[in-house]
Amino acid sequence: MLGYLTRRVLATIPVMAIVALFVFSLLYIAPGDPAAIIAGDQATPADVERIRAGLGLDRPFLIRFGEWLWQVVRGDLGVSIFTNLPVTRLIQQRLEPTVSLMILTLILSIVIAVPMGVLAAWNQGTWIDRAIMVLAVFGFSVPVFVVGYLLAYVFALDGFGLGLDWFPVQGYTPLARGFGPWLSNLVLPSVALGGVYIALIARITRATMLEVLSQDYIRTAKAKGVGSRTVLFLHALKNAAVPIVTVIGIGVALLIGGAVVTESVFAIPGLGRLVVDAILRRDYPVIQGVVLLFSFVYVLVNLGVDLLYTVFDPRIRY
Amino acid sequence: MRRRTFLAASAMGLAAPAVGRAQDSRVLRFIPQADLTVLDPMWTTAYVTRNHAFMVYDTLFGQDSQYRPSPQMLEGFSTGDNGKTWTLTLRPGLLFHDNEPVRARDCVASLERWGKRDAFGSALMAATDELVAKDDRTLVFRLKKPFPLLPAALAKTPLFMPAIMPERIARTDPFTQVTEMIGSGPFRFKADERVPGARVVYEKFAGYKPRDGGPTDWTSGPKVVHFDRVEWTTIPDPTTAAQALINGEQDWWDYATADLMGLLARSRGVKVVVQEPSGQIATFRMNHLQPPFNNPAIRRALLGAVSQEDVVTAVVGTDPKMSRTGVGFFCPDTPMASSVGLDMLAGPRDMGRVKRELKAAGYKNERVVLLAATDFPVLKAMADVTADMLKRAGMNVDYQATDWGSVVTRRAKKDPVEAGGWSAFCTAWAGTDHLNPAGHIPLRANGEQGWFGWPNDPRIEQLRTAWFDAPDVPAQAAICAEIQREAFGSLPYIPLGQYLQPTAYRSSLDGVLNGFALFWNVRRA
Repeated sequence: MLGYLTRRVLATIPVMAIVALFVFSLLYIAPGDPAAIIAGDQATPADVERIRAGLGLDRPFLIRFGEWLWQVVRGDLGVSIFTNLPVTRLIQQRLEPTVSLMILTLILSIVIAVPMGVLAAWNQGTWIDRAIMVLAVFGFSVPVFVVGYLLAYVFALDGFGLGLDWFPVQGYTPLARGFGPWLSNLVLPSVALGGVYIALIARITRATMLEVLSQDYIRTAKAKGVGSRTVLFLHALKNAAVPIVTVIGIGVALLIGGAVVTESVFAIPGLGRLVVDAILRRDYPVIQGVVLLFSFVYVLVNLGVDLLYTVFDPRIRY
Repeated sequence: MRRRTFLAASAMGLAAPAVGRAQDSRVLRFIPQADLTVLDPMWTTAYVTRNHAFMVYDTLFGQDSQYRPSPQMLEGFSTGDNGKTWTLTLRPGLLFHDNEPVRARDCVASLERWGKRDAFGSALMAATDELVAKDDRTLVFRLKKPFPLLPAALAKTPLFMPAIMPERIARTDPFTQVTEMIGSGPFRFKADERVPGARVVYEKFAGYKPRDGGPTDWTSGPKVVHFDRVEWTTIPDPTTAAQALINGEQDWWDYATADLMGLLARSRGVKVVVQEPSGQIATFRMNHLQPPFNNPAIRRALLGAVSQEDVVTAVVGTDPKMSRTGVGFFCPDTPMASSVGLDMLAGPRDMGRVKRELKAAGYKNERVVLLAATDFPVLKAMADVTADMLKRAGMNVDYQATDWGSVVTRRAKKDPVEAGGWSAFCTAWAGTDHLNPAGHIPLRANGEQGWFGWPNDPRIEQLRTAWFDAPDVPAQAAICAEIQREAFGSLPYIPLGQYLQPTAYRSSLDGVLNGFALFWNVRRA
C-alpha cells in the first residue's frame, strides 16, 4: 500500500508539469494583452507598449515559461500582474470560502442524494421512485444561477411575504468570526450549487443499487430472513459504494466549475471568482497558479477515491 | 409544531449576524462600479481607480459641479510676470497618512509624474520652464508662456487626477505601479484588509484637516468625513448587487444598471438618482488607417445613418430623462459644447441616400470588422445597434463578438482586416472626459501618435493648441465650436449620444454629493 501511495504521489509530478505547460501555452496563444487592459480604454498605444515592456511581456515564450517554472519549483507562483501581490497570498485569501462552500455542498449532497437514490431503488417503479427522478431531472436541468436567484428571492428577500428572510443575499463570513455567521452565508450557495450534484449522485446511487439488489446474494439474504434495512444498507449499499464514490470524486470537478458561477451569484470571494477575473484580465500568473492548484486538488481527490475503494471492497488490493 | 419553531429560531439565529452588520452606523458599505484592480491612479485609466484615488489622495485644487477650480490643499495662490509665474502656497498642517508633513517638494515630484501621463498635465509641463519648491509650503511654476488653465489642470477630476503623494513614492517611474498607498486625502487605505477582486477597506484619516469655510461641492470645499470606515465590496452580478442593496446588506451601489432601475425605484428604503449630470458619452471609433474608413468621404456618408436615439435607447431604455441625443464632440450643457454641425445628426435617417453616398464615396463592399465586447452589456448594446446601422447602410459587416480584454488587444493592431486588423469598435467615455480639448483623447487627431484609430487632422491639433492659449471662456468656447466644425468634417469618431448613469443608495444616507462616488459629506441620516 505504501509503495502504491508513493508511486501515485510521484506520478502527480509529471501530471502537474504537463498541466503547467498546457496552461502556459494556452495562455500564450490566447488573444488578449494584460498591458492593454491595465492601461485602460484611454491609454495610447505608446503607453501600452511601455507597460508591456515594464511587465516583461515582450520576452520570448521559452524564457517566460522557464522563469515561471523555476519559480513554481521553488514554491513561488509569481506575482499578479494587476494587483502586484503574490499569487500565493491571493490564493490563501480565497481558499477558505471555496473550500467551505465545496465541503458544505459535498456533505449536503451526500446526505441528501444517497438516501434519495436508495429510496428510489427500493421503491422502483412506484410514485416515490418517479418523484425522486423528477427532482433529479430538475436538479440537472435548472442552471445554478437560476436556483441561486430563486433561493435569494425567497429566503433572503422574502419575496413571497412569508417571513422567510433568514439568510443574507451575498458575502462570506470567515469561520473564525463564528460558526453561525459562517453557516448563514453558505446555506443558500450550498443548496444552489448542490442541486446538480445531488441529482447526479442520486441517479447513480439508484442505478447501482438496482443492479446490486438484483444479485443472488441479496435474494439469499432476504430468503434467510434478514431485515430490509440490513439488506439495504449493510449488504446492498456497501457493495454499491464503489461506483458512488467514483462519481463523488469525479463530481469534485463539477463542483469546481459550479463554484465559479455560485461565487459570482452570491458574491463569495473564492477561488472561482479569482480565476474568472484573472482570465478576463489576462492576469497570467494568477490563472496559472489557480489552475495548477485545482489540478493538484483533483489529482489528490482521485487518489483518495482510489484508496476508499479498499475500504468498501476488500477484494481490491494495491 | 415545536420542531418548526426550533427550525425557524435556528434560521433566525443564522440570519442575525447579517442584520447586525447592516446596522453598523459607522461603516459605509459600498458596491463599486467595477473591481478595484489597480491602485495607482497614474498607471491605469480605470474610473474606479480614479474614485479610489480621490479617497486616498488630495489635490492642490478642487473642482465644483460648475467645473470651476478652487484651492483645495492650497491656502492660496498668486500670479505674476504677466501670468508667467504662479506661486502656490500649501495650507499649514497637511499630513500624509504616514504622518509626515506634506511639503512643496512632494507636490513637485507628484506633478512631474502626473505630467508624464496626463494629456492636460503634459500640456502644462510643456508650457513650464521650471517647477520648483521654494520652501516647504511654496511651489512655483515659471512658465514659458501664460497658461491661464493652470488651476483647471490641477483641479481636473477625470482620469489621471493630479494626486499628491510623498516625494519618495512620486519618484516612481510613471509606467510602473506604485506599491504603497500613502496620500494626504481624507481616507487611509487599509492594505492589510484588501482582498483583490472582492473587498477594499478605507478608514477615516484622523490627521486630515478639511479646509475651512465654503460649501462642499464635488471635490472642492471642506471634505468632512462622517464614517469611520468605508468598505467596498465587489459584486460582479448586478442582480445580486440590487438584492444586497434592497436587503440592507449594502448601503450604496455605484452603477445601478438600467434594467434594474424599476425594481430599485419600487423598493422601500432605496433611492435611485443621477448624481453625475455629465453622464457617459457613447462613441463609434473607426480605423483611419485601413479601408474603408481611411476614406473621409465614406466616414462622412455614414453620418447620415447614425441614429443616436437608437443607441441610447438600447443602452438605458426609453426614459427620456436618462439619455440625450444631438450630442456633438463636447459634453452637452458644459461651457465648451455648441450646436455646430449637429444638424447632420438630426432628422429622419434615409438609408437609401446613405447607400448612394457610400457608393459615390468609393465604398467597394470592403469587409468592416466591428469588434464587440460582450462582457460589457452597455458596449455590446452599442455594438449591436451600430452593426445593424452599418448593415442597413449597405456595408459588409463582420461582427466579431469577443471579450473586452481581446478588444483592447486587437484594436492596437494597425494591420488590414485580412491580417487580423479591425475597422471599428464602440466605447463610452465619462462626460467629464469631454469637457474640453485638454483631456479629450478620442478627439485628438495626431495620427499614429494618437489613440487607437489614429485619425490625422492637423487643423484639429492646431485648434487644440490654440485653445490652451485662449485668454477666457468665451474665447475657449469659440475655438471649441471651430474644433467641432472641423471634427464633423474629418470625423475622428462619431458621437452616439449621451446617457446618464444612475446610482442607488439606501434612503438612510444623506449628503451624497454630485459627481462620481465621493465619500465625504455623506452621512447616515
